[in-house]
Amino acid sequence: MKSHPQDRTETLQQQANRIRQQVIRLVARRGQGYVQQGLGAADIFTAIYLNEMNIHAGYFSDIGRDRCILSTAHNSAVFHATLAEAGLLDSNRLDTYCDDGSELEVNVSERLGDSVEATCGSLGQGLSVAVGMALSAKKKALHGRYFVILGDGEMQEGQTWEAAMSAASFGLDNICLVVDMNRMQVEGDTDQVIKMEPVADKWRAFGWEVCEVDGNNMEGLLRSFSRARNNTEKPFAVIAHTVAGKGVPFLEGQLSHNMVLDATTANDALKVLEEAS
Amino acid sequence: MTRATSLHLGDFTSSVSVYGNQAVPKYYGDALVQVAREIPEVMCLGCDLSASTETDVFRDAIPERFVMIGMQEANAIGVASGMARMGDIPFVHSFGVFMTRRAFDQVAMQVAYPKNNVKIVGFLPGLTTLLGVSHQAIEDISLMRSLPGMTVIEPAGAAQALAAVRAVAGYNGPVYLRMERASESLADDQPLMELEIGKAQTLCEGEDLAIFACGLMVGHALKAADILTDRFGIACSVINMHTIKPLDKQAVLQQAVQGKGIITAENHSVIGGLGSAVAEVLAEAGKENTFLRVGIQDTFAQGGSLSYLQEKYGLSVAHLVRVSADLLNKTLKEQDQ
Repeated sequence: MKSHPQDRTETLQQQANRIRQQVIRLVARRGQGYVQQGLGAADIFTAIYLNEMNIHAGYFSDIGRDRCILSTAHNSAVFHATLAEAGLLDSNRLDTYCDDGSELEVNVSERLGDSVEATCGSLGQGLSVAVGMALSAKKKALHGRYFVILGDGEMQEGQTWEAAMSAASFGLDNICLVVDMNRMQVEGDTDQVIKMEPVADKWRAFGWEVCEVDGNNMEGLLRSFSRARNNTEKPFAVIAHTVAGKGVPFLEGQLSHNMVLDATTANDALKVLEEAS
Repeated sequence: MTRATSLHLGDFTSSVSVYGNQAVPKYYGDALVQVAREIPEVMCLGCDLSASTETDVFRDAIPERFVMIGMQEANAIGVASGMARMGDIPFVHSFGVFMTRRAFDQVAMQVAYPKNNVKIVGFLPGLTTLLGVSHQAIEDISLMRSLPGMTVIEPAGAAQALAAVRAVAGYNGPVYLRMERASESLADDQPLMELEIGKAQTLCEGEDLAIFACGLMVGHALKAADILTDRFGIACSVINMHTIKPLDKQAVLQQAVQGKGIITAENHSVIGGLGSAVAEVLAEAGKENTFLRVGIQDTFAQGGSLSYLQEKYGLSVAHLVRVSADLLNKTLKEQDQ
């Protein structure tokens, strides 16, 4: 790609680390929030926004641009941090995250501006919107790619499977879905709330090309996206297994949907991340 | 008791006419094709009900702009939203219940909140189906009216279908279009009706009573007005409120003169629909007219022929005449039909 693959991977890892630090800072402002999801998904967001998506001058006015739909709209700290890192959001605006009146809300909404492609958060809706975009793009012969970041818990919503069925039926190979398998939902471990495995088999059965990957391994993620890019006739699903709290050893694996993050913990976490950068 | 022996035209299939050899009129389908030929961004989405929503006409005429989503109403709304974000003007079709009650959250989040240029088209309004409670949209107007930024239109029958489609396609924003299928051909000399969004149409003027009606109740109101004049000497205004949101408040207040009775008539629950909308305007303006809502009185309905159901649930012309006369303290002098 743009540089030697190994250098590229290292650069992206560093960016993911910076994004993780930003997640801690953003959540620490309120002392509570989506820390674990943000740390866990930082590599996915980095790979999509800082490598896979074609982000260029005049990006937002380009109807054929690549788009990423954040179906898990609560994962807002990592989303906003990534947008800033990618140059799609003025970094200064991060200072208003979750403030009263701010466009940077706990759940991402279109109030933020063009960088939010659809307001999700009412879970299970993001993939449907991507299907519409991808279908329209095909009819217009546009070459944009349509990424969707879906939480594993969202697979409990029936609409996910309506959308899955239609994407395959329409042969939308311009869709690349990433299922963030952090195994965490409000009530705890996803598989203990409602059994969802075998996840990869489900997507295959719905007519998708599927690739399973360690969602915290940048190299593996890049390889998956590369496969998705070259896939034809079928939509592509990356089942990305992530670790909640990844990057901060004392937070890793803690399944906390909305975690309290006191100042001491935040400082300790930042220290660990800074040392790793 | 009327015996229901055949499906209404709007029910599942109309590939074979239930009216003998009479051709099934498809005013909506024809209108959509006509407008789509003028506006290349118009797309037609279906949910496994092409014939029932008259979109088979579109499918056959402009197949490249027709998308069959299948029995996936929630997904269809999301897909339409995605298409609108790419510059298309998607018209999404199903029965009204499924477009609104079933997919309400999707409509709220992917159409109304982002103000997407999606046109949601719901057929089988109110009692117009044999299929009963599962298919009767009696709260769809109420649901759609409660969504910020949503425009709600119900044309007064087939004669207004083309104007409705044209107005809706030309309007930039979310719309719920409540459509009744035509049950018979328009008379050759019947003029097509215009429709300007947000502008009510006063069809006749009278000083004793004003009936605000939408959809199939517009025709009923006109018939009732004639009977009221002939039999009781009641001079009646009839106003076609084809746009239920935004409501033409001025048209309501114009009729709210002292001593004049006001009635709303709708093929919908009296809660949250046209009757509520008119009542809100009257109450907020401090008007003290005698006021009455004709519609489905806070009950689920059963399946049956339209004539039977209208009689049972108080939507018939005779009922409208009766309550109008009662409202003005007139006494029925003779048995009505």
